[in-house]
Amino acid sequence: MDSTDLFAMRESFNRDRIMLCFNGPISRSLIEEIGNALRNYLQAEHVQPSAAMDVFGAYIEMTQNIRHYASSHGYAEHEATATVIVANKEDGRHVVSAGNVVETADGQALVARINALASLDKAQLKASYKEQLRKPRDADASSGAGLGLIDIARKASEPLAASLRETGSGRAFFSLRAVI
Amino acid sequence: MSNLTISGSQSTPAISGDWEAGVLTMTGDSYPENSFDLFNQVIDWVERFLADGKRPLSLELHLLYLNTSSVRAIMDVFDLLEDAHAAGHPVAVNWHYDRRNERVAELAEEFREDCTFPFAIVAHD
Repeated sequence: MDSTDLFAMRESFNRDRIMLCFNGPISRSLIEEIGNALRNYLQAEHVQPSAAMDVFGAYIEMTQNIRHYASSHGYAEHEATATVIVANKEDGRHVVSAGNVVETADGQALVARINALASLDKAQLKASYKEQLRKPRDADASSGAGLGLIDIARKASEPLAASLRETGSGRAFFSLRAVI
Repeated sequence: MSNLTISGSQSTPAISGDWEAGVLTMTGDSYPENSFDLFNQVIDWVERFLADGKRPLSLELHLLYLNTSSVRAIMDVFDLLEDAHAAGHPVAVNWHYDRRNERVAELAEEFREDCTFPFAIVAHD
């Protein structure tokens, strides 16, 4: 594509109230820098410190999950790509979304896990969080994203939404959306 | 014996362990990708302190946001304190927070639920 329509993209970002978006290889330092920008934006919006911490926390867990997934699968640094969007809603809440390419089977397991979390209330999520916290770390490393997903679900004010889209050759684009 | 000094960064807390005074202080946010690279040194220091007689140890925490990886690491530190407490070793945690951010108090409270040693959550204005 040699004529990316920036104006149309801008219109679409504005319509969707997108504060911040990123698409590409995500490094440890980029996570920090974008996180810094996110914190500044939230502060400028006069979001309460505790609510700002929840939005920031959801962003950190999602992006670090993506980095952990890529490194545990031996993806090269440039393959650790993420698509991240943070938007604000008219009611003052925020939407944090992040997606990455995963092995289809892993993606299906993730979606099933998130759907299972979506049926839990706050007390059940807390119990599940504490149980996961006490599990041996190795067990968590193999399945990945264990504690982080529950943490995001606990911060969210609506059940988490996940989706999966096949991209061919056994891989799929996984995306997660949390309303904080 | 030896003090512990780790300077803080945007994503890691400043940590100092005063061996003579028996005080371990941690200040700031903690969200490194791999928290155990950082906290292994802390766990190591606490283990050595607790193995060296029965002098009181207190943790002065001014921690703010913790990612889940840091939560696990801090839990490991508290588990050491819990074992020491059960063996009659005087240990205590004081977790300080800014009253305007109750999320920090909630985080501290969840840790405290699993601890039986003296654990204070102190609000500051």
